[in-house]
Amino acid sequence: MATFNLKIFSPYGVHFEGEAEAITLRTVTGDVSIWPNHSNTVTALDVGRCSVVINGEKRVGVCNRGLLNVTKNNVEVLAATFEWKEDIDLERAQSELERRKKELADAKDEKSIARAKIRVKRELIRTQVKTEN
Amino acid sequence: MKDIKLRIKSVENTMQITKAMELVASSKLKKARDRMESARPYFMTLFNTLNDIAAYTVDFSSPFLVKRPVKKSAYVLIAGDRGLAGGYNNNMFKLFTAHSQDKNAVVIPVGKKAVDFCKRRNIEIFTEEYSQVEDLSSADCTDIGDLLSDSFEKGEIDEVFICYTTFVSMLSQSPEIIQVLPLVSVNADTYQRNTITEYEPDPEELFHMLVPQFVTGLVYGAVTESWASELAARRTAMDAASKNAQEMVSGLSLQYNRARQAAITQEITEIVAGAGEG
Repeated sequence: MATFNLKIFSPYGVHFEGEAEAITLRTVTGDVSIWPNHSNTVTALDVGRCSVVINGEKRVGVCNRGLLNVTKNNVEVLAATFEWKEDIDLERAQSELERRKKELADAKDEKSIARAKIRVKRELIRTQVKTEN
Repeated sequence: MKDIKLRIKSVENTMQITKAMELVASSKLKKARDRMESARPYFMTLFNTLNDIAAYTVDFSSPFLVKRPVKKSAYVLIAGDRGLAGGYNNNMFKLFTAHSQDKNAVVIPVGKKAVDFCKRRNIEIFTEEYSQVEDLSSADCTDIGDLLSDSFEKGEIDEVFICYTTFVSMLSQSPEIIQVLPLVSVNADTYQRNTITEYEPDPEELFHMLVPQFVTGLVYGAVTESWASELAARRTAMDAASKNAQEMVSGLSLQYNRARQAAITQEITEIVAGAGEG
């Protein structure tokens, strides 16, 4: 099958570098799938589930904000944070979710409410991705 | 003789301190290096990618892409919290001074030494909130990123630079300044301006969303590099200081022993002379 070169980076390391067959990501305008020979695209990413097909096998992860850049069959994902499903610690994600929910309830001004919302959303997606089959 | 002895004691004490500082720096350095090495690919790619995107974007609706007459330049100046790191802080400040000479600069100092430097030189300070480089979190970097992008978009500042120290190796670190905003491509010629690229949503909105993250990422990367560099510089400086102290102690011990031997010899001579007379 045709493939493209995929790189997934975050400040915490290189999460994937190699050939992939497809990637689906949540962008700010909705879910986007990239297949080989996609036209050049630049878009911003939202918090969301990310799935990659590598050698016919699907890998799932959580991608948190960042940038998607497609140029000449090279796909770069530069995420603020990125985690593969197998690296998520469910217990921690759940306790974080509770903590973030509390933060949201305590948040007063607009800015901190907006921030807390993003954090709650992120933890929600982490637990969801981890518990899905 | 007593003077020499006191002097040996004091040098030994200093040596203990420098040794301890070297050990502390070494142990922290390992962690800092790991953090820097994980951030580096992201940091490099982010910088190149966004500048490349800017280079092949023909749409100039976003203020982040347009060069405008410079009235005010903002700098993020990253230095250490403490001295005793060889030339680490001074090299940074020298480069910054040369770079900002004819500019109307406003600085976000990161690190206590950077704050002190700005105050001493009467350089306008944007905010002093981030004076501790060691505990700077990624949330703080986000704040800096948002703050700078926001001010830039509003036109309060016309340029943004980050001054940081790159970690070349354990023995060599070099201060550098990179331009963050407006986005300029280092290799603009390699891109054809007519490449067709899809932007989702439109470039103006897209850059509005991406630039704060871009600045944040760069600040984070620059801080991790600088922190590792600072520790490496301190380790090298303290190692040299310990070695110097060691040399001084052996030199002084030699002097002390000579003085002692001379005193003994003199005493013996006196006794022998006294015995011969009697």
